[in-house]
Amino acid sequence: MTTNEITEEAILETLRQVVDPELGCNIVDLGLVYSVAITGKKVTVVMTLTTAGCPMHESIRRGAQNALLNLSGVEEAEVQVVWDPPWQPSMMTEFGRNATGAGTF
Amino acid sequence: MFTMTGLLALGAGVAWLVLQPDILATYHYNQYVIAVTHLFVLGWICTVVMGAMYQLVPVALETRLYSERLARWQFAFHVVGFVGMVWMFRVWNMTQLAHFGSVFAFGVVLFVYNMARTLRRVPKWNITATAVTAALVWLSLAITAGLSIAAAKCDYESAMEQSPPAFVVVMLHGLQSVGGFVAHFDPMSAMHAHAHLGGVGCFTMLIVGVSYKLIPMFTLSELQSRRRTAWSVALLNIGLAGSFVTILRRSPLKPAFALVVVAALAVYGWELRAILRARKRRVLDWGIKYFLTAIMLLWPLSVLAVVLSWPGLPLNKFTGQLENLYGFLGLIGVITFAIIGMSYKIIPFLVWFGRYSRQIGRARVPSLADLYSARLQALGYWTWLAGLAATSGAIVLSSATGVRIGCGFLALGVAALALNVGRMLAHFFKPAFQPFTLPTSTTPKTA
Repeated sequence: MTTNEITEEAILETLRQVVDPELGCNIVDLGLVYSVAITGKKVTVVMTLTTAGCPMHESIRRGAQNALLNLSGVEEAEVQVVWDPPWQPSMMTEFGRNATGAGTF
Repeated sequence: MFTMTGLLALGAGVAWLVLQPDILATYHYNQYVIAVTHLFVLGWICTVVMGAMYQLVPVALETRLYSERLARWQFAFHVVGFVGMVWMFRVWNMTQLAHFGSVFAFGVVLFVYNMARTLRRVPKWNITATAVTAALVWLSLAITAGLSIAAAKCDYESAMEQSPPAFVVVMLHGLQSVGGFVAHFDPMSAMHAHAHLGGVGCFTMLIVGVSYKLIPMFTLSELQSRRRTAWSVALLNIGLAGSFVTILRRSPLKPAFALVVVAALAVYGWELRAILRARKRRVLDWGIKYFLTAIMLLWPLSVLAVVLSWPGLPLNKFTGQLENLYGFLGLIGVITFAIIGMSYKIIPFLVWFGRYSRQIGRARVPSLADLYSARLQALGYWTWLAGLAATSGAIVLSSATGVRIGCGFLALGVAALALNVGRMLAHFFKPAFQPFTLPTSTTPKTA
């Protein structure tokens, strides 16, 4: 019998499919994902957005949730958007800085 | 619908100037200038601004639009009204103009009512909500002033001879009284005062108020001084109210209130500069560049405003052309540049939201920048700037040939914008989904 074990790496890789449409970069490399918690078949992601009152707020949150539910082994996905600590450009990965264009931030 | 109609009106207006360039090379108090001005103001600017407000005000102020059905009805009144008005200005039929003007005004009533009910739902009142409210008040006053000016030019005798119903008689007497009152003022002054209510009170106020929300959002920044934002809106309101009265009465105090408006715009520019200096996104995209160019054009426009408001300025051919330049730079320079810039931020968002927001996380969807061509944006920017410069020079020199060349550049700018808008809207019919690739790194576990 074969089952899939949900790993943090797999979750982050999945969330890399979710792109902030305004910035054109995925939410992981933008540094928007703060934490990932795995409890059995439930995944809880705590993330932020680049700006409060962003009109894409609900789309991105739901997009992250949809992506997680596509992942094998995940039966429940919760995505919490928090504003503390506020997002800073320094939270981006090198890939994120390159993807948003050299010198963009 | 609003965007496409607005674009058609912009294209028609620029084409009109290419075909009949002499109307900008001569003094502006003639039927063709007034007709083409209303085509730009009502057909292009008003249409796009109203359409954008229906979409944007709920987003910017975190609420819902009161009624989409009212918006659809308003669109019908709006289009019939402005097309008829432009045509009647062109053939100079004041009675029919008043009829079409009333149709247009009824649409504005629906628009203002819909927006007012939407604003009542705003959970957190802020400077943007204040500016939008002020713009709606000034818009209503601009329409009232315009209709009153038309009423002053109408002939009521023939209508009275036909023994109309009692309520029509009452209405005609009312219009006659309004017309009689407006006739006490110099027609040119009344027209200029009416134009400032719309141009400064409605459109400039919206540019100021809405940008306090959108520029920080698009550049990843924040408002830097709420006091400055409040002063800019307050001074703009005070300056405009004073300008309206002093322009209408040809008062020597005109420059004082023009300077109050300039001070409002200077405070606005100060705050905008501070917002941009604090931004986290260093590179500015073309949409923001268009918008900031519009704001920079406020400088020459402000200088012109103060010069033209000076008491005792001789009214000769040259100053008449400067007045043409003032109107042209205001409508086609500042307001149109700002609208195109904001359109490049708003239309991609609306297309993306309508077509892709439900697919995010299920499929790979394009980003906003993938929806349009940056090359076309750049082409549009430079041709519009070249068109503005050439046409402005030609207006000052009263050169019809120069106006035609300048407007030819503007036509290229319109074509670039139309192509890009078409590209964006095409996503509704041919979406650009890509397969969603799930990771293969989930560890198989053997039990």
